[in-house]
Amino acid sequence: MTTSKTKKRGTKKSKPAKNSSAKRSPRAAFAVATNEKKSTAERAKAFVEAPLATIASDDTLQASLDVLRDRQQPIKVRLAALQSLQAATFSVIEFEPHREDYFATLRELVDDPDEELRQRVLGILARENDGYVQKRLLEGLQDPSKALVPPEKALQLLSYDVHAEAYPVAREILNAPPNPEAKREALRLLSADAKSAPVFEKLLRDKDEDRDIRQISAAALQSVKPKRFQEQARELLLDDNEYDDIQATALTALEQFGDEKAVGKDQQLLNRVDELGSSKSAKIKKSAKRFMSRYGK
Amino acid sequence: MDVEIQINNSPNANARFLTWSPASCRIRITDPAGAQGQGQPPMRISAKTTASGGSVVFRKGTTGAFSASLQLGVPVNGNWVSFFAAGQFGRASVSLNDVTIEARHGNGNKVVGSTPCTVRIRKNANNLTPAERDRFIAAFAQLNNAGLGRFADFRDMHTNVSSPQAHGAPGFLPWHRAYLLDLERELQAIDPSVALHYWRFDQGSPNIFKRDFLGESDNIGTVFFSATNPLQFWKTDGVTGINRRPFFNSNNPTGVRTEAQTLALGTAYPAFRTMEGNPHGSAHTSFGGSISSIGTAARDPLFFLLHCNVDRLWAKWQRNNNRFNPAVAASFDSGAWPIGHNLADTMWPWNGITGPPRPPTAPGGTMAPSPVVTAPGLSPRVRDSLDFQGKVSAAACMGFDYDDVPFS
Repeated sequence: MTTSKTKKRGTKKSKPAKNSSAKRSPRAAFAVATNEKKSTAERAKAFVEAPLATIASDDTLQASLDVLRDRQQPIKVRLAALQSLQAATFSVIEFEPHREDYFATLRELVDDPDEELRQRVLGILARENDGYVQKRLLEGLQDPSKALVPPEKALQLLSYDVHAEAYPVAREILNAPPNPEAKREALRLLSADAKSAPVFEKLLRDKDEDRDIRQISAAALQSVKPKRFQEQARELLLDDNEYDDIQATALTALEQFGDEKAVGKDQQLLNRVDELGSSKSAKIKKSAKRFMSRYGK
Repeated sequence: MDVEIQINNSPNANARFLTWSPASCRIRITDPAGAQGQGQPPMRISAKTTASGGSVVFRKGTTGAFSASLQLGVPVNGNWVSFFAAGQFGRASVSLNDVTIEARHGNGNKVVGSTPCTVRIRKNANNLTPAERDRFIAAFAQLNNAGLGRFADFRDMHTNVSSPQAHGAPGFLPWHRAYLLDLERELQAIDPSVALHYWRFDQGSPNIFKRDFLGESDNIGTVFFSATNPLQFWKTDGVTGINRRPFFNSNNPTGVRTEAQTLALGTAYPAFRTMEGNPHGSAHTSFGGSISSIGTAARDPLFFLLHCNVDRLWAKWQRNNNRFNPAVAASFDSGAWPIGHNLADTMWPWNGITGPPRPPTAPGGTMAPSPVVTAPGLSPRVRDSLDFQGKVSAAACMGFDYDDVPFS
C-alpha cells in the first residue's frame, strides 16, 4: 500500500508552529490541535504538547479519535494525534475508561492507506499482543498480496509476542529471504527457539555470511546454549583467518558471560588473546585488553 | 602513629561511596606512638584527588559550611570522633576510588591514615567518559546476562498488569524512584563504580544513540551495536535485540517539554505530577518500538535512562520548592487514591503483597539493600521516596544524587 494522494483538508501551510505555546493550557493546546483552520504544523505541535488533554473527557477522546481516523486530515496531524493518545496511555488510571475505544479505533486503522501510520498502529497493537494483528501479520508473511508491511517489519512486530506458529514461516524466510533485512529479523524471532540452535551455530561459523547475521547468531546461541557458544567462540578466536569484528564479538561474550573457571584454565585461549592484544584492530585490542583484565593478566 | 577512617561509619569497602548529601564518617587512633598534644592530638583531614577525579569536602557537625579540610582533636584512647563528608558539588568521581581521604597529624605533612572513596553520582549519559560508559553498559549487559539474568525481574515489574501500581496517580514518581534505585543497586552489586545515568530528552544527546552506547537504529527500528558492545547480547522475553525507532532526527524529540517548562508546571505536587503526560509520556512516544508502550517499555535499557531523567526533574523541582517533607501538603497529592499511591501505602512489588487490588505476582523480592545507607528500607512506603537526600531526616537519605541537583 502507498500513502494516500487524496487532497487533504486543513493543510494550511502559512504559519509555522510558534514557540510561545509553552505557557498555554492543555485545553488551549487541544483547541488548536483540533482546529482545522490552523496550520498543519501548529496542530501537530499542539497535539504532541498536551497528551492528557486528549483524554480529559469522552468528548476530547472522541475528537482525537476522529482526527486519527479521518483520512482527509493531514497525515502529520493524524500521526501527532496518535503519538499524543499513545503518550496518554502511560497515565494508566486516567486512560482506562478510554482504552477500549482507543484500541478498537487502532484496529480500524490497520488497513489505512498511509504506510507510516499503518506501521505505527500495527506496532502499538503488536506490543499489546493483539491476536487480530498477529493473525494479519502472519497471513501477510504467508501470502505477500495480503501484507500490511514489508516482511522484515512483520517479523519484527511478531517478535513482541513469539508464538510457535510463527517459527515455520520465520524458518522459511531464513532459508529463502526476500531481502537481507527479512533474514535478519527472521533470525531474531527464532532466537526464542532453542531448537534453532544448530542454525545459529551454522550461521555463526559461516565466513561467507553477512557480519550482522553472524553477530545476531552469536547472541542467539549464547542465550539458548551458552556452553556450546563458548566452545564456538573459542574456535573463532583461535582461527587466524577470522574477521576482526566476529573475534571482537566472541571476546566480548567470553569476557562478559564466559564460564570463569573454564576460560581461566584454558592456557591456549589465554595465550591467543594475549597475542590479540597487540592486534592492529582497535576493537580487537580493546576487547582483548578487557578480557585479559578479567582473566587475571 | 596510625589512624583509621571509616566512611558511612562502616569498615566495609563497599560503603566507601559519597554523594552530595553529608555522610557520617569517623576517625580514631589505632596506634598512638608519636602522638603530640595532650589527650587529643590534632588531626587534619583532607582529600587527595586527580585533576578530573572526584572531590570531597568536610564539616564537623550536622550543620554549617563544608570546607576542603577539617581540624579535629582525636583522643589517643582509640575512641571514635565523628565528622561529615560529602562530594564537592560539580566534582563527581570518574572511576572507582579516585579520591582518597587522608589524615595528617598536627601541622605535619605525613599521612597517618587514609581511605579511598568514590563520589558516585548520576550523570548526564551523553557526557560520560568512554570508560564510564563502558562500565555502565557492561553492568547492564551482565544484569541481563543474555536473557538469563536478574534483569528479567525488572522487566516483569513494569508490565500492563502491574501498571496501575506505578502510573496515572500520585505514586507515579515515588514508585519509579524506588524502581530505579532497586535496579541501580543491582548494577552496583556487579560493578560498584556504576551509577544509573540519565537521558536528557530535551537536549541533543548524540553520544547515547551510537553503536558503542545504546545503539543506532535502522529504518525499521532494529538497534545495532558495535562488536565490542556487550549490549549486542541483550535479550528480553526470549527475543534477542532491541527495537527502537526515533521519530526525531539527530537531536532531541520535538514537542517534549523542556526542563524549564516542566519545572514551571507549578509549585505544588498535584500540578507538577502532570509531567507524567508531557514530558514523560511524550518522551516515551517520541519513538516507535518497545519503549513506546507501557507493557514493553522496560525491554529497552533506554527506558531506565529516560526515567532517571524524569526522576532528576522531580529532584530538581523538590529542591527549587523545598518539597522533601511528606508532612508538607504541597510535597504530595493528598486524597484517597488507589492503593500504592497514598503516602502511607507500601509499594508493590517490594512489599511482596499479591492478589487484588495488587498484581497476582511480585517479582524480584524486596528492595536491594545498600551497604551505604539504610533507606528506603526493604519494603518502602510511598512517603519513604520523598526525602532522598536526607534533608528532613538524615536517616532517610537514599544514597543517590544527580550531577546538577546540589544538596544545599
